[in-house]
Amino acid sequence: MNRWKRAVLLAAAVLSLAGPLRAEEQATGTVNPPPKPGAWAAIAKLPDWSGVWTPYISDQDKRIRTDPVPWQPKVAEQIAAMVAEEKAGRPKGLFIDCLPEGMPTWMLITHNAFEFLFTPGRVTILGEMDGNRLRRIYTDGRPHPADPDPTFHGHSIGHWEGDTLVVDTIGVLPQAYLAVSEAVGIPNNGDLHVIERIHLAAADVLHDDLEIIAPHVLTAPWKTTRIYFRQRARKYDIVEGVCLQGSFAERKDDKGNAVFVPIPHADGNPVPQAK
Amino acid sequence: MKRFPRRLVVLAALTALVLPAFAHHSFAMFDFTKTVTITGTVKEFQWTNPHVVLWVNTEGKDPKTPDLWTLEMTSPGNLTRTGWNRKALNPGDKVVVELNPLRNGNLGGALVKVTLTATGQVFSTNLRDMEKPGLK
Repeated sequence: MNRWKRAVLLAAAVLSLAGPLRAEEQATGTVNPPPKPGAWAAIAKLPDWSGVWTPYISDQDKRIRTDPVPWQPKVAEQIAAMVAEEKAGRPKGLFIDCLPEGMPTWMLITHNAFEFLFTPGRVTILGEMDGNRLRRIYTDGRPHPADPDPTFHGHSIGHWEGDTLVVDTIGVLPQAYLAVSEAVGIPNNGDLHVIERIHLAAADVLHDDLEIIAPHVLTAPWKTTRIYFRQRARKYDIVEGVCLQGSFAERKDDKGNAVFVPIPHADGNPVPQAK
Repeated sequence: MKRFPRRLVVLAALTALVLPAFAHHSFAMFDFTKTVTITGTVKEFQWTNPHVVLWVNTEGKDPKTPDLWTLEMTSPGNLTRTGWNRKALNPGDKVVVELNPLRNGNLGGALVKVTLTATGQVFSTNLRDMEKPGLK
């Protein structure tokens, strides 16, 4: 046997040993375990949250008045200034840079639809706007990481209490806004903690009861609810929504290629013709 | 302002103080106490997030140089749910547009309703009209 053949056989022997070892590690590991027997079948027993959920915008508007935010005094001054500017027709666009609204603002102020996906050990929420508007809620019993890398949507773990999904979220970027509208909000400034109880209130009505703990901007936890509805008889598919796409016009270049060309924008709007 | 009366009709000041539903940015730069109607020709209809935009040419001071109105709406997904589609409006279509104008007087607004002159077909943008579960 020449040296080359010996090397191949040795490598094959090592791989055949390593294969079963890796499988054993996976079976006992806790990071990404395979679904337990019956895990897919168990999903059928969860409440039916399929379909497309649309936010109840009139209720969002109402809750700003009925569930006032317990802003800290210094924050309240900034908020009052933003409300005044918006009323005067000079809104400060918090999201015109197309960065995600993040948590919990997405749930609070979105006007766009979203959908739920149930898979073993996970609930995923996919929003219509922004390619990265999604939430992964781990329901496999794992804890939060000790020091998660901050993200716009944070780290979420959940568990079912009957037909209610209880979600706990930490690890949200301090820069992510706690906003009550597209023009009124403040960075959460860190240590944000959100507890949600998501449940069906009627056949086609979903409630998200939120408790928002933001110690650097609020004097007390803010409790509020957001309502979403579905209309199964209508064409309601989720569509792709890329936030920056509206900043570009579809044109042809000088070689006939289909290309995007920037549209002049100001304050998030295409610049109109002057009067 | 003196060219307004012929082509623009302030329809119903203070009638509809319901703010339209738009994501992404506030629409407070538009004056929702005023509704203006323009008649013109579609230059471009951009079916993109976060806001669908309609550009409409109307008669300008100089007949050779039409005015160009920039009209914003909510997102394609939301408009689809209120009966729109990406081919609802096409360049060259004659249209009558109701809009809430920009407060600063520039030629832009939040689109309330558009009627295709040729067919009479109407598309509106009020998402709150569909806030009932189980609508057919």
